[in-house]
Amino acid sequence: MTAERPVCVQIAALGGQGGGVLAEWLTEAARLAGYPAQATSIPGVAQRTGATTYYFELFPERDPAGTPVFSLFPDADGLDLLAALEPTEAGRARENGLVTARTTVLTATARIYSTAEKMVAGDGLIPAAVILDGLAAAAGRMVPLDLAELSAKAGGPANAVMFGAIIASGVLPLSADDGRAAIRAGGKAVEANLAGFDVGLAAVDQPAEAVPEGSPVYSAPPPGFEDRIAALPEALRPLVGHALARLVDYQDAAYAGAYLDRLEPVVALDRGDGVALSAEVAKRLAAWMSYEDGIRVAQLKTRPGRLARIRGELGIDADAPFQVVEYLRPGPEEIAAILPPALARWVLRLGGGWDRGGRRVDTTSPAGYATFKAVAALRRWRPRTHGFRHENAAIGRWLDAVVAAARHDRALARQVAELAIWARGYGTVRRRGLDHLESLFVNWNNRLDAEPETVAADVARSLATARGDPDNDNREAA
Amino acid sequence: MVQVAKRDRAGSGTERSFADAVAKLELGAGETFHGEAIVAVTKALLQAGVSYVGGYPGAPVSHLIDVMAEAYDRILRPYGIHFEQSASEAGAAAMLGASIHYPLRGAVTWKSIVGTNVASDALSNLASAGVVGGALIVVGEDYGEGASVIQERTHAAAMKSSLPLIDPRYHMPLMVDLTEQAFDLSEACHLPVMMSLRIRAAHMTGSFVCRDNRPPAFGANNPVPRARFDYAKMVLPPSTYIQEKAKLEKRLPAAQAYILSHGLNEVFGPADGRIGIILQGGTYGVTLQALARLGAADGLGNSEVPLLVLNVIHPLVPEQILAFLDGKDQVLVIEEGNPAFIETQVRAMAQEAGVTCRIRGKDLLPAAGEFIAPVVRAGVHGFLSDAAPDPLKTRAEGRNAAIEAAAEAGRTAAATPPMPTRPPGFCVGCPERPVFTALKLLMRERGPIHVSGDIGCHTFATLPPFGIGNTVLGYGLGLASGGAVGPALDQPVVAVMGDGGFWHNGLATGAVNAQWQGLDAVLIVLENGYASATGQQHLPSSGTTPWGRRAEVSIEDALRGIGVTWIRRVDPYSVGATLDVLRQAMDARGPHLRAVISDAECMLAKKRRGNRRKARAERAGRPVRRARFGVDAEVCTGDHSCVRLSGCPSLTLRPSDDPLKDAPTAHVDTDCVACALCGEAAQAARLCPSFYKARGTVNATAWQRARAALNRRALDLLGAS
Repeated sequence: MTAERPVCVQIAALGGQGGGVLAEWLTEAARLAGYPAQATSIPGVAQRTGATTYYFELFPERDPAGTPVFSLFPDADGLDLLAALEPTEAGRARENGLVTARTTVLTATARIYSTAEKMVAGDGLIPAAVILDGLAAAAGRMVPLDLAELSAKAGGPANAVMFGAIIASGVLPLSADDGRAAIRAGGKAVEANLAGFDVGLAAVDQPAEAVPEGSPVYSAPPPGFEDRIAALPEALRPLVGHALARLVDYQDAAYAGAYLDRLEPVVALDRGDGVALSAEVAKRLAAWMSYEDGIRVAQLKTRPGRLARIRGELGIDADAPFQVVEYLRPGPEEIAAILPPALARWVLRLGGGWDRGGRRVDTTSPAGYATFKAVAALRRWRPRTHGFRHENAAIGRWLDAVVAAARHDRALARQVAELAIWARGYGTVRRRGLDHLESLFVNWNNRLDAEPETVAADVARSLATARGDPDNDNREAA
Repeated sequence: MVQVAKRDRAGSGTERSFADAVAKLELGAGETFHGEAIVAVTKALLQAGVSYVGGYPGAPVSHLIDVMAEAYDRILRPYGIHFEQSASEAGAAAMLGASIHYPLRGAVTWKSIVGTNVASDALSNLASAGVVGGALIVVGEDYGEGASVIQERTHAAAMKSSLPLIDPRYHMPLMVDLTEQAFDLSEACHLPVMMSLRIRAAHMTGSFVCRDNRPPAFGANNPVPRARFDYAKMVLPPSTYIQEKAKLEKRLPAAQAYILSHGLNEVFGPADGRIGIILQGGTYGVTLQALARLGAADGLGNSEVPLLVLNVIHPLVPEQILAFLDGKDQVLVIEEGNPAFIETQVRAMAQEAGVTCRIRGKDLLPAAGEFIAPVVRAGVHGFLSDAAPDPLKTRAEGRNAAIEAAAEAGRTAAATPPMPTRPPGFCVGCPERPVFTALKLLMRERGPIHVSGDIGCHTFATLPPFGIGNTVLGYGLGLASGGAVGPALDQPVVAVMGDGGFWHNGLATGAVNAQWQGLDAVLIVLENGYASATGQQHLPSSGTTPWGRRAEVSIEDALRGIGVTWIRRVDPYSVGATLDVLRQAMDARGPHLRAVISDAECMLAKKRRGNRRKARAERAGRPVRRARFGVDAEVCTGDHSCVRLSGCPSLTLRPSDDPLKDAPTAHVDTDCVACALCGEAAQAARLCPSFYKARGTVNATAWQRARAALNRRALDLLGAS
């Protein structure tokens, strides 16, 4: 009885992940094992970033009575095996009707984000778990693989791990020895590839567990605030504790106390009706009150352990030469922000005529590090700086606007709270954002009374701009 | 003004190696070739005894040129075969002129449809004059998934110039045979022959049993005795009138006779049957797949439905078509793309012959788009459902319904947001990306500027995050395509061109013309040293020929030579300085061309060379520097401005575990090559102080370690550890 169709395999990858070599190994393994097979590819152009697919068909009889006919394309409900080196590429195959009950899906669990996702000013990332769940629901068999970890464990490349997993899945009539022979025949980095292959062989029986990405980690609250934290709704406590720890680190306990002074009236507004508004304000207020001025940046960049972390990431021994150069371009606003108001006014009047495109500071040189330390040490004078007063005035206006809005409409108040995302970035970006907020809050209370719909529309538009086109790239020609 | 010293570009052809493929070209009679189809076709050219080979790189046929270039010293030169990487497809087609007077077999290659368009002047003249030596054009059909050009058919060009067009069934031994037979066919009908390979077919693997390579009848080792003149081969009247008639009355009929007598087209399936399928050779695999899935064929190509496989799709052979239609009620023509030339011709033949068979085709199959498996299956199912007798009809309907239901179940098994597209883009560290960062910043200062784009990697700048490049009119035509735009928008003409485009067409059509006619124009030339998009082929300005001989033609000198005086070279990675030069170029309004040359080598090439050298040094225990950029996640505010100014694959995001952060923070992954764009962009656009460059030395010497220890002690005193 002649088989009606070949076994069909698609490899989905990104340029540079080694999908082509993987397809070559499959082709070679089939040849060595005596099965007729054919591979093809859409490797894209020479670039290394786009999606690439490789398609492979193997006729499951060693000496068929004729010449098997192969196709260059997978059909819907036609894939027996999908091996993806990135989950969205597997998800794409599912969108195309290629992942069905007949399909075994082997997929990497780690996302490599696309430009479209990364460009979003807020959070535009699609979590891997969402995609993996969809694949599991559609596929006959789903094997998620933590390829990065497996590959590190093996000391071999991820595509070799995947090759092992493909063989171990049993979808193709190829043995582990066929796979090893193909790798040897390839002749390149044979030992590392074999190591990866063997780890992949074993991995199919222990699929990876999806680890949620970026779940929040709360710092313990600093001492001295126990009673005030206990007085808050339970749902707010971890967040507020974290915020207080941040603000003590940022400034001092008194400053953290000022945070609670500002937050508590909002919490009172929320009483008896969840914590939606107060949670929003608790988060935004803490973030804003710990805005990254030059002092904060210097503090973060001189944290003990930072240089050791960077050195570790680069894989440089502790006793080897090592250098970290900061790319900075403080503008007049940022310089003025950490000066007393009188000096700041002078700097702002002076403008940016001195600016020659930025400074590079070597924080691994004693002089560079000491300079940063000195700036960080300005922390105790921060409340007297121009920037601190400016920011705190803006915070006050924003909070007043939130409270005023809450008297009209709790949902609107929450959106107004969200408007604090405009207080972000550095230099001109930050100034533009704060100016925008200030103009939005002009005559706020009267407008809330007189034209609440217009106000709501303005708030919605402002939020959309903040998230959608913060650089104002889509404006019409001036 | 920025003056960058002319870099030391290795350009020795060592960036890539095709040694494996070259070894396959040397296989002798009886040995089995295993590999990709494009290499198999390359081998077939040698087996056919070509005297010369040329072409212009382009997916999916670049590999033919790459492999021939690398085989130059080992195979081509000893055989006396002339090889050129032509200046353009027009140059490649013109090269075939060698076969007009002399019994020289020659082959050239390019990407179609665009390459065929560029070549069409020479092709028309060549086809009219006719050839005595076999002339073959291998075109890569860039149609469908992965295509980077407009979607048109080569078929139209073949028809208007009377070129036999081979679209082979993708079975490697047959593809090799047909490549060799193409030369016989060309010599039999005195017409140049085209062979078209789709993208997936060019990259298809397979095997065939080789024949020995054949030395060319004439060539460098055995020159043609003397030059010939024959006015009948001139493309001037009255010869052209005689040639036109000859094409119709002698040459095409001779081609048809050859096709028939040598069985170039194939018939499969039962001899009788009320229905049948006529298909292009290249759609054979996908058609049989559809028939098998619908229960009308097995996995070995045994079809219940009669098939006429056209390995030569132009010219058709009427008697063969009519013989196939004979006795059938309905015949489906499977023809990819539009217009449907085959279907139209078959229908006309049937009508003229008074045959009643109904011709189906584009009523069941889409007029536009690639014939991928689900598309062909749907069309074949429509045909069988309408025309096939039972039980085949019922079987096909049942199977198709099951397939569709299973696919739909898979698609809807869970609700998932749509997967983001992932088009190709600039590589990590690409020197072209920062030029567009600077252009984007310029537009933030001045509002939108119309930028005339061109063909090359830089066309990716039209995609997010840049969206720069308002039109693309063809290779090297960027500057020419902006001529009427600048004045109309009251801005200078602004055009971006790669070094490939500059040499292909840009110098003459763009720069010379702009300079001569006093165009108020800014030309940005991205000189990265290679035709990078097609696989890093060498160019006149690379520094060496494709086979490694030193030879350099300078873009800057060429521009100076035509009288351009405003020329600035920039190091694109210095974004601020590049932006400055762009501002100056825009502001130097006047009736003259300003040229900004972005001077930095293709990072892929540089990396390939550098990585090998570094790996050797590291293994040998010699000091090696390592550098990478990084982001302090705590300093990053998650606004992602940096991404919108870069799009570097290595500049990515990491979900934040800080409950106070709104969004994931920027993160530089381990693929970073420390090109510095992210840091430079952060400075040029005044983004943030998050970026740092880290560098260190592996295998440091004792002296280096001692100095590092001193430095570390000083830092420890300051509290750094």
